[in-house]
Parts: sequence; C-alpha cells; structure tokens
Amino acid sequence: MRRVGVWLFCAILMLVVSACSSSSTTSTTGEQTTGAAPSPAVEPAKGEPVELVMYSWRPEDKDAYTKFIAEFEKQHTNIKVKFKPFKSTEYNTILSNSLTAGTGVDIVQLRPYSGTTSIADAGYLLPIDDVKGVQEIPKAYLDAARGSDQKVYGVPLSINSAVIFYNKKVFEDNGLQPPQTWDELIHVSQALQAKGIVPIAQAGKAAYLLSIAHSVIGTSSYGGNEYVDKLLTGEVNFNDPAFKESIQHMQELAPFFPPDFIGIDDKDAQALFYTGKAAMYINGSYRLETFEKQSPDLPIDILPGLAKEKGGDTPMINWVDGSYGIAKATKHPEEAKIFMEFLASKEFGQMFSDDLSRLSAIAGVTPKHPLVQKMTQLSERSMAPYLMLVHFGEGTPTTKTTFEDSLQGMYIGKLTVNKVAEDTQASADKWFKPKK
Amino acid sequence: MSMPVTDKTAAAKKESAKVRRGNWKKHLVHLFLLPALLFYIWFQIYPIFSAFLNSFFAWDGLKRGAFIGLENFVRLFTESPFQETFFRGLAHNVIFFIGIVLTKLVVAFVLALFINSKIRGKEFFKMVIFMPKLLSVIVVGFLFSLILNPTYGALNTFLKFIGLEELARPWLGSPDTALYTIILVNSWYGLGFAVLIFLAGLQAIPSEIYDAAKIDGASGLTMLWRMTVPLAMPSIMVMTILSFIGAFETFELIFAMQGSQAGPYYSTDVLATYFYRLAFGSVAGGESIGLGSALAVVLFLMISSATAILLFFFRRKEYEQ
Repeated sequence: MRRVGVWLFCAILMLVVSACSSSSTTSTTGEQTTGAAPSPAVEPAKGEPVELVMYSWRPEDKDAYTKFIAEFEKQHTNIKVKFKPFKSTEYNTILSNSLTAGTGVDIVQLRPYSGTTSIADAGYLLPIDDVKGVQEIPKAYLDAARGSDQKVYGVPLSINSAVIFYNKKVFEDNGLQPPQTWDELIHVSQALQAKGIVPIAQAGKAAYLLSIAHSVIGTSSYGGNEYVDKLLTGEVNFNDPAFKESIQHMQELAPFFPPDFIGIDDKDAQALFYTGKAAMYINGSYRLETFEKQSPDLPIDILPGLAKEKGGDTPMINWVDGSYGIAKATKHPEEAKIFMEFLASKEFGQMFSDDLSRLSAIAGVTPKHPLVQKMTQLSERSMAPYLMLVHFGEGTPTTKTTFEDSLQGMYIGKLTVNKVAEDTQASADKWFKPKK
Repeated sequence: MSMPVTDKTAAAKKESAKVRRGNWKKHLVHLFLLPALLFYIWFQIYPIFSAFLNSFFAWDGLKRGAFIGLENFVRLFTESPFQETFFRGLAHNVIFFIGIVLTKLVVAFVLALFINSKIRGKEFFKMVIFMPKLLSVIVVGFLFSLILNPTYGALNTFLKFIGLEELARPWLGSPDTALYTIILVNSWYGLGFAVLIFLAGLQAIPSEIYDAAKIDGASGLTMLWRMTVPLAMPSIMVMTILSFIGAFETFELIFAMQGSQAGPYYSTDVLATYFYRLAFGSVAGGESIGLGSALAVVLFLMISSATAILLFFFRRKEYEQ
C-alpha cells in the first residue's frame, strides 16, 4: 500500500514538473520569438495550409470579412485566415495580453495614430513598408500607422468622417433647410423643438460621442486646418477664446439634445433618429451602415463641419479609423505579408467600400454608395483632422479622454466652460511639445 | 526475568526506526501538498509579486524601463489628476461600503430574523431571496441598465403610469443618484447570500436561552439586542468583512452599468474602475502599467490591512463577551 502511495506521489510530481517545464519552455520560446527578427517564411507543404489569426474590434463586420477572406483564400489556397473580432471596449486589453504573451495573433487591427506608434515602438509589430501597394496609399493616411522610426506598421483601412446625419423627410415636412452655420443650426433646432421633434439625437453616456460632436460643431468657432496648425505650433492653445467658444457652443446645444442625454447610450440615440423622433444625429460615417441595416428606407443625408459664416468653408472632419498590421511574434511573416498585400489592394478597398458603405483609404477606390461618394467629394473640397484623436491622443489619461470627460462634467454642472478648457490644456501640457 | 542488554538495544533501535519511518510518512503527506502549492504560487503569489515589481519601474507602453523606486506611488498620491481620481475613488468605495452595510446587511439581518421565526413557507422565502445570486453580475448589470434606462426603462415607465412622474429620473445618468442606485442593485443581488449566512448564525443559537429569558420577563427588543445580536456576532463579523472586501473590490457591476469611465463624469468611479482605466485603458498606453501596478499594490495593502484590523476588532469583541 505504501509503495502504491510512493509511486502515486512520484507520478504526480513528474506530471507537475513536466507541466511547469513545458510551460516555461513555451514562455521562453514566446519571449525569444517576440524579441527576435522574423524567421523567413516557410512555404507550407501541400495540404497543410497556414492559418493566420486576425484580431479586430468590429464584430459587426464579421459577415463582410467572411466574404473578403473567402476571396483571399480563393487566390491563396495555402493560407487560411481566421477572423476573430472582440468587443471594441475589451479589444485593447485582449490585444495587449496577446502581444505581451507573443501568442494567439498574427494580424492585428491597430488603433490609429498614437495607438499604433506606441505598439510599434514597443517592438510588437513588423514594418510593412516593402509590402506591395502600401506606398501607393496617400501619405496622410499612412501617418496614422507609423512608429516613431517613421516606418509604416499598418495598412490603413478606412477613412472616417465626423458628420451630422439628418432626416431629409423631417426637414422637408417642416419646411427647413439643412444648417451650414452655427446660427442656422440653432434656428433649425428651435423650429424642430417647437414641433415636438428632438433636434439632435445626442447620447452622452459614452463621453467620446461628445468629442465627436464637438469636432463637427467646433469648426463654426475656430475653422479648420489653419487653426489646427496654430495649435500644433503652439501659437494658440486650448485656453484660446475661439476654442472656448466651441465648448460654449456645445453647452448651448444641450437643450436641443434628448432629455437626460447624459444617461442614454448611443444605441438609444440611434433609435430616436431612425424612428424619426429626432431630426439629426452626429457621429462617424461608419453609422451609415448601421442605419441602412436598421432602417433601410430612412431618407438620410449628411452635413460636414459647420462654417464660421454663411457660404464659408465647411470642412469634412476626417481621420483614419485603424489599420491592419503584423504581430512580430507571428510564425508566418511571409504569409502575413501576402495577406497585407491583399488588404492594400484596390480589389479589397473596393469590396470594403461597397460592402460596408465606408470610405476606403486605398487610392483609386470609387465608392458605390451615393452618400460615401458625397463624403469623398466634400473631403476633396475641404478637409480637417479630428483634432483630439489625430493630434491629442496621448498622455495618461489622454488629452482626448480628459477633454471628452470634461465635456460630460460640464453637462452635469460640475465644470464650467473655462474649466473644461483649462483641464484640457493642463493635460496637453504634460506631454505635448509644439512643433517649431 | 529481565531482557539481555543487547536485546534491549536492538528493540530500542527497532522502535526508533519505526518512529523515524512514521515521521517520514508524516512528511510524505506534506509533500502531497506540493502540486497544489505550485499552482498557488504560480497563479496567486507570482501575479501579486510581479505587480509589486512592476510598480517600481518606469514603463513606456509595454516596455519596462528603468528602476524608479517609489516614484509611481508618489505620482499616484501627489500628481494631478491621479491624486484627485484616487481620493474620489476611495471616497466612493467608503460610501459603497457604508451603503452596503445599511441596505444589505441590516435588511438581510431583519429578513433572517423573519425567516428564523415560526412562519410558514420559510424555504420558499429563502429561495426567492437567494435567486438573484444565481445570475451573473454582468447579467444583473445589463438587466438593470435596461430597467433604469431614462427613455424606455421599466422603472420610469411604471412611475409615470402610477402618476408619480415627478419621481422618474435618469437614475444612472445623474451624479446625484448613480452611485446610490448601483449600491441598491448590488445589495439586491447579494441579499440572499447575507440572509443565508445570518440564518445559519441565528439557527445556531439554542432556543432554551430564549425560553429562560422569557421566564425572566425580557422583552422581545431586549432579547434581540442583548442575546440575538451578540450571539450572532460571528456571522455578522463574517458578513461585515466580506462586505468590506466586496465594497473595495467592486468592479463588475459598475463596469456593466456605467462602463470603465464610471460616469457620468466619474460619479460612480471606484478604485477598481480607476485601476482598470490606468492599467488597461489603452493598448501600450504610455506609463499606465507602472501606475496601474502601483495602484494595485496600494489597493491590496489597504484591503488586507483594513481586513486585519476588522478581524482584530471583532475577535476582541467576541473574547470580551
């Protein structure tokens, strides 16, 4: 009996020791792979296709990606791509863990601008400057996917525009013209409110929606690129009267938002808009697809950023919405580069634009959707960056987060307009160095 | 007849070898704990140790930088906005704990007294009260987000329906009500567990002492205050300590109902949601790993030391009785 006990003990001990040693081997291997340069691609033997795991924060795009990937796999029978989307709010944590562990992911969807730079600088991505098609993408878009070493680490996916969606029928029924300036927006909002219609379906529970709305409204106070340049060179800062006026305008819009808008989700705001209870809704152009799915007959149109005066410049507020890069720890860098080539191709860009009603970052793609075409035309006429996302996405917490949270604080009466500006500037002061 | 000396020595040696074998066997039993111990070290001790370690380094995204000693801790307590956010979160944790004691423990104790009395359908009440605990916290958070929605939520609709429209409000959208609303939801969720613990404590009190007290002319209130409460003190102690730990670790419900920003404008922000934002708020986000680890260490030290003080206090009280 005693012998049985001893043997049993030895067996358990061996099992534990072997489990521990195998796990440590795995982790060491992982670390080595993470730090080392990618090994040359080995063409998989016939009948053994390589599988690339692709992370995304867009579960809503799964059907479209299934189609895109099927197209890719038709052309490259030796490569299989597994699309693994995660909830946007959990994506950062999941990606961070996978990159640190050096396992689980080959193709990563990257947050734009500082989101990509910090991961690239930490050494978790492979540069893709030499991938066919990448250098044909406009430089301004590639800037959203660079590391501090100026190498490109991602294929920019789509261009988002912050726009005012409006219900054409509601405007026509009430004899109203779509607003182009701040005064017109107030006039239209008052008229709609008098008719019992919510003028702007704005949600405030997620603070980032407030900063998107500000990017569209703010141009009526500070204009477009000229002001952005002044901010970037340090000629003005967030305590500037024009910027404060833009915050003041946001405050003045509160009566035209739904009751208790700080407590409602974006989905509730969308519902108000597509059921015709609200006339306008401000968000990124990516909502176009959502509305078309939810309410295909909704007669919608879009408006760009507001002009300072009648007939003035109405810039489209644009930003690159993420890109796809290659995890350095991938065991299949060559196959991953082949997939990158596909993502950088006009063929993919066209499918992406057509199926998801989005503006592709790939040059030469002609949007099929009339509203996406309109966005392209408006962008060609005048375009300005989404200031907070493109230039102020750094810091702990980021200046963008500080700004949008402060706007929320203003709406619940905790902060004044001046304090919002001061807090935003204080956050920027910690890391932002004006360009000389 | 006496045994020869050599025989005696041999017998003693044999005996001592037997004892040694017995001791070895005893130690062998301890060795069987080794696998569990290894897992415990790997999954419990190592993460705590690594958080301690991370908090003493500078971080640049996911890259560990130089050793900076206590700088992350100093920044956490002295630098804006970390300082304000920390103390605001701490204050909310304290409010959370007080709220839970008042709305969960007191109510649960009264319910336990009620169920422990001679009423019919005890099991039914126990089951009904315990039922919410069977749901996941995230599901509870989601359901209450729907119920409390200011536009179409069941609560405001009901209030309007019964003519109490003035009471309808954005429960989660106003800084005046959001935290208290979440405390109430938390209490509703955890009530059943507290009732079961209190009930176990109450059922352990022998009924004879109540009979004796009645003969001595003690009133119901006197019996409750002088007998029931002191004798149920072990279960009260357990629940208070668990509630303290729960209040300072609370995260899931706030995350499910208000997101990681714990809005509106941080009115429901507690130390755990602040930690989540600091540590996981962005991919490779700047210095966040060092600061997040420092906050995790502070949180760990706070909870463990406060729990030790509470235990000491309750044990002394128990001993005095």
